[in-house]
Amino acid sequence: MDRKIKQRIAFTTFRIFSVSVVLMLVSILGFIVFNGAKAINWTFLTASPTEGMTAGGIFPAIVGTFYLVVGSMLFALPLGITAAIYTVEYGGETRIIRIMRIMTNNLAGVPSVVFGLFGMTLFVNKMGFGSSLLAGSLTLALLALPLIIRTTEEALKAVPDSYRTGSLALGATKLTTIRRVVLPAAFPNILTGIILSVGRVSGETAPILFTVAAYFLPHLPDSIFDQAMALPYHLYVLATSGTDMEATRPMAYGTALVLIFIVLLMNALVSLLRNSLKNKNSNE
Amino acid sequence: MMKRKGKYKKVMERGTERLLSASGAVTGIVILFIVIFLFREGIGLFRSPDVEKGYALYLNTKNPVEQLTPYEIKQIFDSEITSWDQLGGPNKAIRPYRVDDIFKEYPEEEWGDHYELLSGKLEEVIKSDPNIIAFLPQRYAPPVGADIKELPAKNITIAGFFGGKEWLPTATPSPLFGALPLISGTLLVSFLAILIAVPLSLGVAIFLSELATKKTRQVLKPVIELLAGIPSVVYGFFGLVVLSPAIQKIFHLPVGETALTGGMILAIMAMPTIISVAEDALDNTPRALKEASLALGATKWQTICKVVFPYASSGIVAAMVLGIGRAIGETMAVLMVTGNAAVMPVTPFESVRTIPATIAAELGEAPAGGAHYQALFLLGCILFLITTMTTVIAEFVSKK
Amino acid sequence: MEKRAFKKALFFVVAFMLAACSRDNSSLKITGSDTVLPLTQKEVEVYMRRSPESKISVTGGGSGVGIAALAEGIVDIAQASRKMKFEEILKIGSKGIAVEEIVIAYDALAVVVNNDNVISNLTREQLEDIFTGKIQNWKEVGGDDIKIIPYSRETSSGTYEFFKEHVLENKNYKNGILSMPATGAMIQSVSQTRGAIGYVGLAYLDKAVKAVHISYDSGRSFVEPSFENAGNRSYPIVRPLYYYYLTASESKVDPFIRFVRSDEGQQAVKQLGYIPFTQPAPNNDEKKGEI
Repeated sequence: MDRKIKQRIAFTTFRIFSVSVVLMLVSILGFIVFNGAKAINWTFLTASPTEGMTAGGIFPAIVGTFYLVVGSMLFALPLGITAAIYTVEYGGETRIIRIMRIMTNNLAGVPSVVFGLFGMTLFVNKMGFGSSLLAGSLTLALLALPLIIRTTEEALKAVPDSYRTGSLALGATKLTTIRRVVLPAAFPNILTGIILSVGRVSGETAPILFTVAAYFLPHLPDSIFDQAMALPYHLYVLATSGTDMEATRPMAYGTALVLIFIVLLMNALVSLLRNSLKNKNSNE
Repeated sequence: MMKRKGKYKKVMERGTERLLSASGAVTGIVILFIVIFLFREGIGLFRSPDVEKGYALYLNTKNPVEQLTPYEIKQIFDSEITSWDQLGGPNKAIRPYRVDDIFKEYPEEEWGDHYELLSGKLEEVIKSDPNIIAFLPQRYAPPVGADIKELPAKNITIAGFFGGKEWLPTATPSPLFGALPLISGTLLVSFLAILIAVPLSLGVAIFLSELATKKTRQVLKPVIELLAGIPSVVYGFFGLVVLSPAIQKIFHLPVGETALTGGMILAIMAMPTIISVAEDALDNTPRALKEASLALGATKWQTICKVVFPYASSGIVAAMVLGIGRAIGETMAVLMVTGNAAVMPVTPFESVRTIPATIAAELGEAPAGGAHYQALFLLGCILFLITTMTTVIAEFVSKK
Repeated sequence: MEKRAFKKALFFVVAFMLAACSRDNSSLKITGSDTVLPLTQKEVEVYMRRSPESKISVTGGGSGVGIAALAEGIVDIAQASRKMKFEEILKIGSKGIAVEEIVIAYDALAVVVNNDNVISNLTREQLEDIFTGKIQNWKEVGGDDIKIIPYSRETSSGTYEFFKEHVLENKNYKNGILSMPATGAMIQSVSQTRGAIGYVGLAYLDKAVKAVHISYDSGRSFVEPSFENAGNRSYPIVRPLYYYYLTASESKVDPFIRFVRSDEGQQAVKQLGYIPFTQPAPNNDEKKGEI
C-alpha cells in the first residue's frame, strides 16, 4: 500500500508541475496578448513612432526586422546547407567530420551577446561596415548557422540510403544524385530548419545592439550601409526608456505582441509542415 | 561529344566537392575567428596602463611616496584617503588636482592659443605645493625633473581583474576592473535558475514520457517548444512589469530587481531545453527493460526510479548542463530584471550584475581600443569559455 | 516549374541587393547622447512634418560615441549632454577640423525619493555622502529609521557623468550601487521602494515620486526643481544640451539646427519637459557654452 501512495504522491506532483508550466506559458502569452491587442490597429502597424514614441506605430521596426531576416538568411542558408551536405554526403564518419560536428554544437552554445561582441569588432570596426544592416545581417547569420547546419544534417540523414544507391545504380553521378534525389526528398525537413532559424533571428536583441540597431529612424533604410530599427531592440527601448512611462507602455505591449506573433507564426508553420509530411508519408 | 561532356562533368563534380568541403569547415573557421578576435582584444587589457591612457599622475619631489595602487588612487580622489601618512608619506592633507581645476584658476587668455602655456602653469602649481597629486594629460604635463616626478605607470594585473571586488570601469584617474562581483553574480543567477528549472522540468519530462496519454502529449509538446521560441526581450519585459513588482511585494523586499527575479525568468527560459532533452533521454529507455520491471511486480513509480532514471541519467545530466549553458549566456532578460548592482551577492534577494548584462549595458559607451572596451571583451572571453565547457561536458556525458 | 520559380527568386534577390548597395550622402545623420535622444527625436518628427522630403536618422549610444563619430566624419551632428572633454578637443584639433558648438536646450536633474519619505530638503554635501555610501540611513539626515537605497544610472549615460561631476564633485558612486538602464526604470523603482533615492531629468518628473529641494549653499536656501527655477538658474543642478557639427558642413545642418532653435522648435523642447535655451542665463554659463 505504502508504495502505491508514494507513487500517487509522485505522479500528482508531476501533474501539478506540468499544469503549472503550461499555466506559466499561458499567463505570459495571455498577459501580452490581452494588453497588446488594445494597442494594435492599422496605424500601429503602418506608421512611424511619433510624439516621443508614445503614439504612431512601429512600421520601420517591422521592416527593419524583415530586412535583417532576409539579409542573414542570404548568408547563412547557402553556407549552412552546403556545409551540411558535405558532412552527410561526402564526409562519412571521419575524425574531421567529428571535429566539425563538435564545432557546430559549440557554436550553437555560444551566447548571443558574444556574437554581438564578435560582430562589432570584425564587421563594424575591422571591416569598416559601421553600424549597418550588412554588419547586423552577418552577425545574425553566424548565429543562425549552427541551427541550419544541424537541421539540414538531420533532414539529409532521414533520406533512406536506398534512394541514393538506386540513383547511383542507374548511372547518375553523386552530384546529380544529391541534386535530383536527396535534396528534393529532404527539402520539407530543411524548410522546417529554415523557418525555425527565421524565428530565432527575428527575436534576437543582443547581437544587433551594437551592429545595426537604431533608436529612431522615421524612414526606411535605403542601403545596406544604413542602420535600421528592429522589433526586439525597439521593445527594449520602449520598456526601459522614454519620457513618459505610462504613455509608452501600450506601445511596448503592442510591439511585444507583434514579436510574439511572428514567432508563433513560424512555429505554427513548422508544425503544419511536419504534420503534412507525416500524412504524406503515411499515405505512401 | 559524350566524352567531353563526361570530362566536364567530372571537373564539376570535383570542384563542387571542394566547395562543399570548404563550407563544411565554416563553423570551425567561425569559432577560430571568434577565439582570435575576442581573445586578442581581451588579453590586451593586461597591457593597458592602470591609469587612464594618455594621462599620468604627478607629485612634487618633496613627497616621499613613489608608488600607488589603483585602489589607493581611487580612494585619494574620492577623499577616502585624505592624508599622506596613510600612504607612507608625511602627515599632511592630500590635495587631489585635475587638469580642469586649472581652468577655474586662470583665465582663458593665459593658456595660449593652442594651450602652449598650459604646461608652464601646471608646473607652477605642482612646484608650489608638496602635498599635491595631479592627474594630467601627458601631452601638457610639466617637465619631470628636480621639482616634479611622475608616478611610474603599471599595467592592469590578472589578479586585479579576477580578484578585484570593485567594478568601476569609468572612474578616473584609475578605473577599477574587478570582475569578481560580475562572475559571482552570473553564477548565482544561473544557479538559482537551475535550482528552479531542473525539478520542474524533470517532472514535466516524466509526465510527458510516462504518464500522459498520446493526445495530451501531442498537444503539450509543441506548446512547451513554443516557450523556447519567445524572444528573451519579451521575457525581460514581462519580468520588468509583472514579476519584479510581485517579488518585491511577496517577500517584502526593499528592491524588486533581485537575483531571484533573474533566476526565475531564466528558469522559465531554460525549461523548454531541459524538458525536451530529458524527455528524449527518458523515451529512449528500451521497452523491454520497463516491462521486465513491471512484470516483477514493481509499481510504475518504482520502475521509473530504479530502471528508467538510471538508464537515462546521462541524458538527464546533459540536459541540465545545456540548461546551465543557456542560463549563463542570457543577456536581455537579465539586464532588465536584476538591478545590475556590481556587488558580491550574499543572498538571492539582492541585486546582482551579470557578465552578459554588463557587456550589453556598457559596450555602447566604451571607446574602441580603450581599457574599458578590452575589459568587456575579456568578460566575453570568460563567457565563451564557460559555455564551451558546458557544451563539451554535455557532449561527453551524453556519449556515455 | 520549380526552376523558373527559383530563377525568379534569384532575380528578385539580386535586384534587391543592387538596389541596396548604393551609399548616399543626402541624409542627415545625428548620433550621440541618450539624454538628448528623445528631444532630437521629437524635433526631427516635427521638422519632417514640415519638410517631408528631408531624410534624417537619429541614433543613440552616448555623448562620447557621438563626438568620436563626428571626428571620424561618419555623422553630421553629434548630440551631447556634456561639453566636449579636453581630450576630445585636442583629438579633433590634431586632425585639423573645426567644430562648432551650439546649445539647443537646458536640462535640469531632479533628485527624487519615495512619496512616503518625510525628507524634502537635502544639501549637496548630504547628497554626496548618500551616493558615495557614507550616509546609509534616512535618520542621519532627519528622516525615519529606514535604510537608504540609492539608485544610479548605467555608466554609459551622460546623466551618470553629470551627476558625478556636479553633485559628487567627481567622487565615485558607492560600490555596488543599483544601476538602472534607463530613467523610466528608475522612476518605477523609486516609486515602489520606500528608502529609495535617485535622480532623473526634470522632464521625467511625475506624481509617482517626490522631488527633493536642493541646497548648494550648505543649507541656507533650498530650491525646488521646477521649470521656473531651472530657467532662471536658481536651481543648481542644470546642464546645457549641445549639438556639435563640423564647420565645413554648416550649410547642410543649418536648416535643421535653425529650426530646433526657432520658437517652434523650442516649443517642442518645453513640451518634452526640457528648458528652452532662450531663458536668460547668467554670464558664466554663457561662457561655458563656447569652446
